[in-house]
Amino acid sequence: MKPGRLLVWGGLAALAWLARGLVLPVFLAAALAYLLSPAVAWADALAIRRSVAVSALFAVIIAVLAVAGFLLGPGLLAEAAALVDRLPALARQIDVGLDAAVRELAESAPALRRLLPEGGDWVQRFVLNRGPGEPGDLFEHVGHLFLLAILVPFFAFFLLRDMHRLIAVVMDRLPPQHVETSVAVWRELNGVIGRYIRGLVLDGLVVGALAALGLWAARVPYPLLLGAFAGLANVVPFVGPLLSAAAAGLVVVLTPGQGLAGVGRVVLLFLVIKVLDDTIIQPFTIGRSVHLHPALLLGSVVVGSHALGVLGMIIAVPVATVLQETARLLLEHRRVLARRDLRLRSERPVV
Amino acid sequence: MFERLLPRWLAWAADPEQLRRAPFLARAPLFAGLPRRLLARLATRFFEKVYHPGEVVFEEGDPGRALFVVVEGAVEITRATAQGAYVLNTLGPGDAFGELALIDDFPRSATARVATPGRLLILYKSDFDALMEGNSRIALVVLRNLSRLLAIYARRRPVVATEPGPERAGPL
Repeated sequence: MKPGRLLVWGGLAALAWLARGLVLPVFLAAALAYLLSPAVAWADALAIRRSVAVSALFAVIIAVLAVAGFLLGPGLLAEAAALVDRLPALARQIDVGLDAAVRELAESAPALRRLLPEGGDWVQRFVLNRGPGEPGDLFEHVGHLFLLAILVPFFAFFLLRDMHRLIAVVMDRLPPQHVETSVAVWRELNGVIGRYIRGLVLDGLVVGALAALGLWAARVPYPLLLGAFAGLANVVPFVGPLLSAAAAGLVVVLTPGQGLAGVGRVVLLFLVIKVLDDTIIQPFTIGRSVHLHPALLLGSVVVGSHALGVLGMIIAVPVATVLQETARLLLEHRRVLARRDLRLRSERPVV
Repeated sequence: MFERLLPRWLAWAADPEQLRRAPFLARAPLFAGLPRRLLARLATRFFEKVYHPGEVVFEEGDPGRALFVVVEGAVEITRATAQGAYVLNTLGPGDAFGELALIDDFPRSATARVATPGRLLILYKSDFDALMEGNSRIALVVLRNLSRLLAIYARRRPVVATEPGPERAGPL
């Protein structure tokens, strides 16, 4: 490789390393852009300039968010404030229960004593000592969230406005013999990712609404907060529904007067939601976008979790689907070319 | 004041690219008869690419996955024989080729080569399928136009089924 080219590649690698903090905002912005792209495609068909269409779309979203915040915000804030107020008492309650369980286990099985955690007040130490004890940490987290809230819509705006120009530039630089396959791969992937993200968000909204309604009907405290958590956690395959059921179950356990019957109601509710999600909601929302074998689906989630944690679990399914589709198209391309070469060889006159 | 500004603003808010593409597609025989609204939807699905003279768009035997419409320049459709390649047809602005890729999965039956500097619109099969599924009017009009093109070709070059036929010059 020439020294000049090596220098350029080295510079690009260094730039990518410096900009690694932008990976998450760009990823979230791409997801938001995919979510909104049907509205932009609709405006394209009406021959409306992209910048006008995207600006109008963002204005509508801001208005919708303002109305939603006005309607749901006070309820959510009140629930969150109540939960924060109750947090010390809840943490103490959980610690008392955990202490008793650990002591009981140690007495019944002395061999396990060495494996059991020592000390106590685990939850109180974990939950309560964080905020006031580490103000810098708290400000850093709030700062990150604020930055995300600004960067994600900012990048999504420009992705929606300029992506077609970027594609046009790439198309003009592609060698002609690769155009058809590249267009095929790009369109398939674009379709799969777009349908998956839009389906996932719609699925999360429906599951969240069902959970909130069900918890409210079962008189579980904080139904809005737990419903919102269920909707958000739903994007994590397999683990998400378990986490949201566990959170609701924990709230029930710590609420006086709910008892085991309350836990049973919550478990039944989340079981029904999961069955409804798998049999009715997902086929309508995510539907045809994912054609993965269940074993491959589970395997991809495990690999994603090991590689990138929760983010890896969320992106595992679309990434596996994209890899599968790309492999299918490229193999099909190779097979057709091999058939053509075979035919040409058989047609060649024997000298 | 408002009456004067509104038309100017509407003209500015319109996308010149889309305004150019839809009427252009209306002139292509394959999309003739499609209403403006559907042509506008169809136009959003096309990619555009600049080609240089001598560049091969696709080769005979390649997997067919897209339809091409000539916007500018000329495209030669050639077929290889034992005696060498010969030109079946030369296409100009408004002409479409590779349309059979929208219907079946057979390999390309001829080679398309750009003869003069040009620009092509490219429509991927799955995009077309999605449009057809969403709107049967598009499917009906395009398939009727395609049948007409095939009928014209069949009348021009009748094929004797019992003998190996001559070279084809119809849709690719």
